Amino acid sequence: MNTLATSAPRVARTASFALRAAQRVSRALLLDRSFRFWVDELAPVASRAELRACVLSVADVTHDVKTFVLAPRVWPGHLPGQWVPVEIEVDGIRLRRCYSISSPPNDPHVELTVKRVPGGRVSNWMHTHLHAGDFVRLGAPSGDFVLPEATPAKLLLLSGGSGATPLIAILRDLAHRRALKDVTYLHAARSRRDVLFARELARLSSLHPGLRVVLHLDDESPRLDSTQLWVLVPDLAHRETFLCGPTGMMDAVAPAFLGFEGRLHHERFVVAKPAAAAPGAGALIHLGRSKRSITTTGRGTLLDELEQAGERLEYGCRMGICNTCRCAKRSGVVENVLTGAISNEPDDVIRLCVSVARSDLTLAL
Amino acid sequence: MNRVLTPHEIDAFGRELDALRQEVLDQRGQRDVDHIRSVVRTMRYAEAAGRLLLHVGIDPATFALGSGALGLAKILENMEIGHNVMHGQYDWTHDPELDGETYDWDMACAAHQWREYHNFEHHTFTNILGRDRDVGYGFLRVTSEQPWNPAHIIQPFVAVGLAFLFQWGIGAHALRLDETIAGRQSVAVLWTRARPFLAKGSRQLFKDYVFFPALALANAPRVALGNFIANGTRNVWAFAIIFCGHFPEGVRMYHEQEIQDEPRGAWYLRQIHGSANIKGGRLFHVLSGHLSHQIEHHLFPDLPACRYPEIAPRVRAICERYGQSYNTGSFRAQLTSVARQILENALPSRARPARMQ
Repeated sequence: MNTLATSAPRVARTASFALRAAQRVSRALLLDRSFRFWVDELAPVASRAELRACVLSVADVTHDVKTFVLAPRVWPGHLPGQWVPVEIEVDGIRLRRCYSISSPPNDPHVELTVKRVPGGRVSNWMHTHLHAGDFVRLGAPSGDFVLPEATPAKLLLLSGGSGATPLIAILRDLAHRRALKDVTYLHAARSRRDVLFARELARLSSLHPGLRVVLHLDDESPRLDSTQLWVLVPDLAHRETFLCGPTGMMDAVAPAFLGFEGRLHHERFVVAKPAAAAPGAGALIHLGRSKRSITTTGRGTLLDELEQAGERLEYGCRMGICNTCRCAKRSGVVENVLTGAISNEPDDVIRLCVSVARSDLTLAL
Repeated sequence: MNRVLTPHEIDAFGRELDALRQEVLDQRGQRDVDHIRSVVRTMRYAEAAGRLLLHVGIDPATFALGSGALGLAKILENMEIGHNVMHGQYDWTHDPELDGETYDWDMACAAHQWREYHNFEHHTFTNILGRDRDVGYGFLRVTSEQPWNPAHIIQPFVAVGLAFLFQWGIGAHALRLDETIAGRQSVAVLWTRARPFLAKGSRQLFKDYVFFPALALANAPRVALGNFIANGTRNVWAFAIIFCGHFPEGVRMYHEQEIQDEPRGAWYLRQIHGSANIKGGRLFHVLSGHLSHQIEHHLFPDLPACRYPEIAPRVRAICERYGQSYNTGSFRAQLTSVARQILENALPSRARPARMQ
């Protein structure tokens, strides 16, 4: 008994030690790339280098919204309301977007409900090209738009458009935990055909007397604002509100919470592409790794400006050739002074010596 | 032979090349990624086939095929994949497998040392005597503008030796051994430069001559010999391609005072006059890592290399319009030219008429 109990962890320890040793040897001998290639070639979802998920099914939810059901190789688990970064490849470039997870944690699969955004590169690609049997890359689920540990007695789940996705996860989780005591689910949509999860909402409200579903249709009633909100939810002040929707809608209802802002939890799901400031304007540069912030004069390249601020950076030619000063830009807009090209995608790789800031930036330095 | 351009013309020349570069940048996309991934795939299958044939075969036919396939894999990995990825030609894809900063290639040269002396020194100070250490690598006299010394008499033999050991030459180039010999670099600095090279080199030796042979058990000598042949094949091939890119006759050398405040157009001109192309088919270009388009590579080192053959006729047309030479020739012609340069420059310059313009 005793030997069995002690030998099991020992075996596990030895196995993990052997695995780590094998990884180190393969890296030293440059065999790791070869392994990753053959995994990609033979069983892409088995990749250990990154988390991949197989697409199990794709279903139309409305005319411009689809639900993708994913089976990740492993899943670290998520809380209802959290989002996950999804990475796909569009025209040879890997792009990353964060999507709210619409499935509750007890679901064995991960469900993403994605609206086709006009001009959105990732959502359009997913709608057109992503089919059952393909795979996508996932990051770690994250976000603090989640219920507190003790479920509030009275809840308002308030959403507009595709902002419903984190809230349906919260609702599904409450239903699963039989914790739907007193919940108002208020969803604003453009028209009846734009309502997300309509059938499921009807089913849940018939099963759970504690759930009140209110639909607000923009084409049938006046725009949802704070006055309208008070009419639809008279006991608003007594409810813990979770709000997610387009910026305009969130701004319109925000005044309703005056005096009890602490009860409002919100998530902005549209991160607008940052707009470029005029050339030559100063900018605030956040250095992600060193946690430093630097204000630029707007007169020099990023390399010059950061050096003047005392950063010691690697550089070579200072003319955009050798790639020594390359750096990942996490967010913001930069202009390439050689080509005039504007980069506003997150995670673009830029060369500091030929880039000027055209907005506040976060750099991986 | 080259028309002397006015400052105004030099600027216009530079703008035309900038526009060409921008045009390729605007089209960059799936096609480039598909190209490099298909080369990676070919390389991995050739590597697997080569190793399998060497490890399990016992007859000379599988030995020859196996060594050949492994040699082909090493050539593709070093030239079309390693060299080009490490230039950052595919950084825009955000694919970690194609990331120039973290790529390490299957050869004795440590990747970060290569990025420093090749991407920065050689590509910025191309053919500037005293600044670009790639001009003869510090021990070969490839132009009459380099001072002669008696050691150059044996350089034809040294060059042949270098061809067979080319990966070690590329790796050791980062050491600046000649500067230590001349007393310009301390032994301590030499040692810091030598350590990454020795570490990488010994790991490569261990892999090719201990690790893989050991996996083959009784076939160990066969596998070791096959790896040796594959490495040698790659060495000779890379040597031939690279020497044809910078050392044929007609390639210009520069002096540091010529490039004071060099405008971008003049920088482009120097890249063109300091490089030479090799004519060939698509397969030849891929096997050369597109360094058969050394001129286009030097103009635009960060554009995906598979674009060089497409833009080459236009670069040439621009050169013709501005009366600038564009050095290209068959592989045989360029090799012959390089050989002549190495032989002629083995002797002091006064022994022969000057060829350089």
